[in-house]
Amino acid sequence: MTQTLPKPASVHPLEPFIDRLLSADALLPHSETNVLEVVGILKSYGVVLDAYSKNLIYIADDQFLVLFPFFKYFDGEVSVGKLLKHWWHDRINFEYAEYCMKAMLWHGGGKMDEYLDSEEFLDLARKAATAKTKANPLVRSINAVFPDFLPEQVRQLAYYSALGQFWRVMSDLFIDLSDAYDAGTVKTIPEVVAFIKAGLVAAASNPITYRVEIKGQTYDILPKSAGLTFLMDVAVPYVEAVFFRGTPFLGTVSYNAQADQIPAEQGRFQYGALYADPIPVGGAGIPPTLLMQDMRHFLPDYLIEFYLASGRGLDDVRVKICQSFQKSMFCVTSASLQGLLPYAADTPNPQEQVANRTFLAAWMDRLMTSRLDVVQL
Amino acid sequence: MNQMLVETSWLLPVYGLFGVVLALPWSMGFIHRTGPRPAAYINIVMTLLAFVHGLLVFQAIWNQGSQELIFSWFKFADLHLELAFDISVLNLGALELITFLSLLAQVFALGYLEKDWALARFYSLMGFFEAAMSGLVLSGSLFVSYSLLEMLTLSTYLLVGFWYAQPLVVTAARDAFLTKRIGDVLLLMGVVALAAMAGSLNFNDLYEWVKTENLSPLVGTLLGLALIAGPIGKCAQFPLHLWLDEAMEGPNPASILRNSVVVTCGAYVLIRLQPIVVLSPVTLGVLIALGSLTAIGGSLVALAQIDLKRTLSYSTSAYLGLVFVAVGTEWPGVAITLLLTHAVAKALLFMGVGSIITTTTSQNLTEMGGLWSRMPATTLAFVIGSLGMVGILPLGCFWGLRMGVDFLSQSSPLLALVFLLVNGLTALNLTRVFRLVFLGQSQPKTRRAPEVPWPMAVPMVSLSIVTLLVPVTMARLSLLPPVEYLNLPVTALMVAFGVAGVALGAVIPLSKSLSRSRNRPVRILQDLLAYDFYTERLYANTVVAAVGGLSRFSNWFDRYVVDGLVNAVGLASLLGGESLKYSISGQSQLYLFTIMAGVGLIGVFMTWSLW
Amino acid sequence: MLSALILIPIIGALAVILWPGNITAFTAKLVSGLTIGLTLVGVVFLATQFDITTPGFQFEELLPWVEPLGLSYRLGLDGLSLPLLAVNSLLGVVAIYISDPHLHRPRLYYALILLINGAVAGAFLSANLLLFFIFYELELIPLYLLIAIWGGARRGYAATKFLIYTALSGILILGAFLGLVWLSGNTSFDYDSGLATALPLAQQITLLVALLIGFGIKVPLFPFHTWLPDAHVEASTPVSVLLAGVLLKLGTYGLVRFGLGLFPDAWMALAPLMATWAVISVLYGSLAAIAQTDMKKMVAYSSIGHMGYVLLAAAASTPLSIVGTVFQMVSHGLISGLLFLLVGVVYHTTGTRDLTVLRGLLNPERGLPFVGSLMILGVMASAGIPGMVGFISEFLVFRGSFLIFPVQTLLCMVGSGLTAVYFLLLVNRAFFGRLAVAPPSASPQLDVDLPGVTWRDRWPALALAGMIVVFGVQPNWMARWIEHTTLALHEPYQGFVQASTLRLAPLNESLVADTLVTETSIPAVVDASVLP
Repeated sequence: MTQTLPKPASVHPLEPFIDRLLSADALLPHSETNVLEVVGILKSYGVVLDAYSKNLIYIADDQFLVLFPFFKYFDGEVSVGKLLKHWWHDRINFEYAEYCMKAMLWHGGGKMDEYLDSEEFLDLARKAATAKTKANPLVRSINAVFPDFLPEQVRQLAYYSALGQFWRVMSDLFIDLSDAYDAGTVKTIPEVVAFIKAGLVAAASNPITYRVEIKGQTYDILPKSAGLTFLMDVAVPYVEAVFFRGTPFLGTVSYNAQADQIPAEQGRFQYGALYADPIPVGGAGIPPTLLMQDMRHFLPDYLIEFYLASGRGLDDVRVKICQSFQKSMFCVTSASLQGLLPYAADTPNPQEQVANRTFLAAWMDRLMTSRLDVVQL
Repeated sequence: MNQMLVETSWLLPVYGLFGVVLALPWSMGFIHRTGPRPAAYINIVMTLLAFVHGLLVFQAIWNQGSQELIFSWFKFADLHLELAFDISVLNLGALELITFLSLLAQVFALGYLEKDWALARFYSLMGFFEAAMSGLVLSGSLFVSYSLLEMLTLSTYLLVGFWYAQPLVVTAARDAFLTKRIGDVLLLMGVVALAAMAGSLNFNDLYEWVKTENLSPLVGTLLGLALIAGPIGKCAQFPLHLWLDEAMEGPNPASILRNSVVVTCGAYVLIRLQPIVVLSPVTLGVLIALGSLTAIGGSLVALAQIDLKRTLSYSTSAYLGLVFVAVGTEWPGVAITLLLTHAVAKALLFMGVGSIITTTTSQNLTEMGGLWSRMPATTLAFVIGSLGMVGILPLGCFWGLRMGVDFLSQSSPLLALVFLLVNGLTALNLTRVFRLVFLGQSQPKTRRAPEVPWPMAVPMVSLSIVTLLVPVTMARLSLLPPVEYLNLPVTALMVAFGVAGVALGAVIPLSKSLSRSRNRPVRILQDLLAYDFYTERLYANTVVAAVGGLSRFSNWFDRYVVDGLVNAVGLASLLGGESLKYSISGQSQLYLFTIMAGVGLIGVFMTWSLW
Repeated sequence: MLSALILIPIIGALAVILWPGNITAFTAKLVSGLTIGLTLVGVVFLATQFDITTPGFQFEELLPWVEPLGLSYRLGLDGLSLPLLAVNSLLGVVAIYISDPHLHRPRLYYALILLINGAVAGAFLSANLLLFFIFYELELIPLYLLIAIWGGARRGYAATKFLIYTALSGILILGAFLGLVWLSGNTSFDYDSGLATALPLAQQITLLVALLIGFGIKVPLFPFHTWLPDAHVEASTPVSVLLAGVLLKLGTYGLVRFGLGLFPDAWMALAPLMATWAVISVLYGSLAAIAQTDMKKMVAYSSIGHMGYVLLAAAASTPLSIVGTVFQMVSHGLISGLLFLLVGVVYHTTGTRDLTVLRGLLNPERGLPFVGSLMILGVMASAGIPGMVGFISEFLVFRGSFLIFPVQTLLCMVGSGLTAVYFLLLVNRAFFGRLAVAPPSASPQLDVDLPGVTWRDRWPALALAGMIVVFGVQPNWMARWIEHTTLALHEPYQGFVQASTLRLAPLNESLVADTLVTETSIPAVVDASVLP
């Protein structure tokens, strides 16, 4: 009487979530507080992203290959008051934006990553670098001995610019979402997801380009001809690098090679926003603390009230922000996955349905160990 | 002015503590709406102050000669504990090295820990760390030295435990504290014994006392062994070396100091104790034996490590082993030269390591390669640091190693061979690491590796320049021997060992040193070295097992024998307890009554027994 | 004046009990807090009036009471009792401050605490053996009730065990006192250091053994200690603070005052045994502490270990070791008070003290970072890290005892190393790692959400921590009060100390000569060292 037939391979343990995504629902269940948390946090995230995006683009454009960029976080306005505030650390933590940028650069992926390895890019980068370092024989000679020094920096600057452009769109989208919520046009989590998805789809084919001006002359780094687009070449690698893979936090993971805690293949990394544990936020060695800290200054009143009403009030607000943020990121992930579906979600064609399901099942495999189960609670 | 600077030199260690106190509002989280960076700046400024003050005192002392500062701290009956500080050129030199490296490490940390919100706590701990070290090198009394060694143990614990939520940090911090504490308790035994026997604990008084005292050999040996136990722990010498490996879980800027000046502090105490320790030939023998063992063993273990930080930390143990040998053979000059030059070179190497970790998010040597063309500052720092470590070019450690080989080649050639071997093995290992990290094909994790930003690059480049200038400085301070005293054959031999190491490191097939060999004896040897001669398991099966077993036994004994016996006897009286239980649910008046009754009973009892 | 220190709390207790109408918990707390605060002010005032060069009793008060019994109401204050008196008032204030504001039967609770405070003050101040005994017994019942009524689940068992042990301790002490006075043919129980000198050594030894066991139960020393962990585990936090910080000191105080002070000959004869007993107690307590998984039990066992140092130092009876006993008593009072306080906050917040489930409490947002920082300070102080009062106390104990009992001293220092082991285990388990207050579970759980710790809970711990550091950095501020009393207590033991150091002669010849010189020249040394 052995009835241990293997389950049909098509039934995924997270099958309910696949169904939800296909029926225009979200990974995050709908509830009034969930909507409040998600929209509220995306509002403040939008404000922070606005600052991040401006700064990233400023650095890419105006701090191109500056050896000692002391004022790179000043967006070009240096004053005593601003300097004192900067020293008092009363400012946006732009380090977090750079952290995300570096994560993208390091994980790579997408056409942009390929383009940065092409001869065409190398040519453009060298031209710009030569123009910039014309008056600096030291750096020129260093670059002569270490030939990849400056091109590598230019690659990094390209990511500065690309992420800045991506966040520009996202910031506006999140602020619009918040306005729609305030206006009462968005009321449920599926509506939130639909709103984000619409925004992403609308911007999908925006071109991503980067050019710098050196001594009055414009140098292309990412020319339009490279054909880099918003969704596939920046948004998707961003989701991969920041939501899924991330980088191991020094505060929770050992880098000890012999302990073997960090996988050798970056593809197996699971340190991204969807996996992160909110509890250590605020502690040592947890970079997202910077983001949570930045967002706390721009929380809408209704969200502050919501936080005040539970547990320690605002004393553990960074953990609370992180919990809400994680929920909102599951919404953004839902929107992205729905936007990336190979065929329309409601396709009547069985083959297309299978393809859709296979596509989502692959992502669900990766979400098995995420905090998906906790945000359901 | 000068005199005032010298007289206020007790401030030198205090600057660090000021920084700690001023950083408290951030490190305790009282200021939380804005970020913690002001705490970092405060501590950097304090360190800078200490450095500048120290420099001025150094100049003043250079002309005036040494001074002793003594403050009475605690006086009771025949016990007089003094805070004594020796303001001498050598001590101030060491202090300048400490504050300088601390300054660089703190600036470096601005970049390395830029994403860490617990920055304030980190800088507080660094200030504490620096204060303890500065005090230690200036200390003129064993009492002060002991106290500060304990402070150092505590701050190491806290610094290693900085990322306390990380599981391996938890064990690493614990082991760092306990291993050092073993050394410290043994040292305390020595300190207490010396205090009781000699009266004063000031080094100068102790030196006098030792000259006139006829200690029996047994007492002398026990005393000597107790005294060297502290430095053994601090300098990560066998068998108390494991903590340094584990301490690599801590943040890299702290590792910079730990591998350079912290271990130096331990050895510094040893050098101060040397005139007392020499009373016991056994102790000297132990120093030499442990030193040689650690020097050779550490160098070999370093070869088998695949972790970037650990391979260098084992080499730290090895170099400190050489220092132990030098102290054991009574060549303090060799010891000091090696210590100070090693500190500079090792600090530089660890800065390079920090920038590699930041860029590649990895410490695993097997995952690296091809960094050289992208990271000029780091590559140069690593090369210069490596050259400063070994005796090939006349940079820092060249002189110490040369001196050691030269002196020892006459009295005990075997020990000279230890120096030569360490030189060769270190050269071999550094070449191996260099090839793995910087040469070869880039791998996925090293594919995108832009050079680190300026807060990390500037200290690294500065220290690279300083490392190159070390021989010049040494010449200026007349620490280099005149050319005619250079024992050329010996020097050539040493260089030959170094070059052989580099050559061997350049040609060995790298894949074999990393993946486990299929040849069984080779594999066994590989594992033996990779796991540090299984020291951890040795601990677990001996000391840890013994203490654990004893404690479980005590607990069992307590519960079932001592308490069981008592309960058996007390069973009858517990019935009384039952009746009391009833009254617990009663009114408070009842309790009052119980009190009265109790007191009354006592009265009755007393009068009754009087009858 | 001295009577006031006893009467004020007792009057306060009566006031709380007889308060007309309904008394709210808050009023009762306020009244009793102010009462003990008043005694603290009184102690501080006495300290300012205290003549530090007088070795004997000061501010003496004498009232004939039951003359046929030899019982007189005789009080006196000297350098031995002053610091302990201060600790008593201080921890009394702390205990009342941290008491649960909503506890049931506040009237009785606060009255009992006040009564304990008064009785302990009386015991420390008594200059009459019988009077001491009465106060010693008087403190017993309130403590019993405090455990039995406001304790944990097994409070009945723990309280009864405590009662039986301490009653036994009282009987032995009373027996020894009675025996001493009757055998020596005295009619008065007034404290006099020459009381026992006329007795034959055998009788002295018998009496001393009774005293040793009697006070040994209270200290507690192995194997009479098992009441202590149970009592601590069941007692509420304020009671634990009092028990560890103050009441155990009655035992060590008794040992020094009545054992060392009254029976010099017998003391010298038994000293080696006592030192060995101290070693066993220290090592046993420390080892047992390592195996504990209940934070409170661990701290309780650590008390057993640390009080053993006092016995070692008392056995050695050199000037330094005697001052070491007082230092160790005060330092243990402050440190264990702090530790019990913090464990109490942890328990109150997380609902558990189990070291197998508590993790990561240092977490800055959801954990107890402030408590954790102070806990690290507390355990480091207990482990004898310099800069805190635990270090100088242990140093005095070890340095003072080393020449007399080198082997025992070294073994006790091993105990100091073991302290680091168990307390580090405590900190590493409960405060490091990822925050958790329950065992890991397979199903998804909501994130840990603990109530916050208010400043109300932080102040007392911060104050104790401050004192631990202050006396650690400036021990002279404590030593100056104790110095002359210590030297007087040491006086009968000069020959003993010399003889003991002579035993070390083969090791080191001129050492003995030095010691002899030092010993005989103490008065000169002392004069020169009258501290600022």
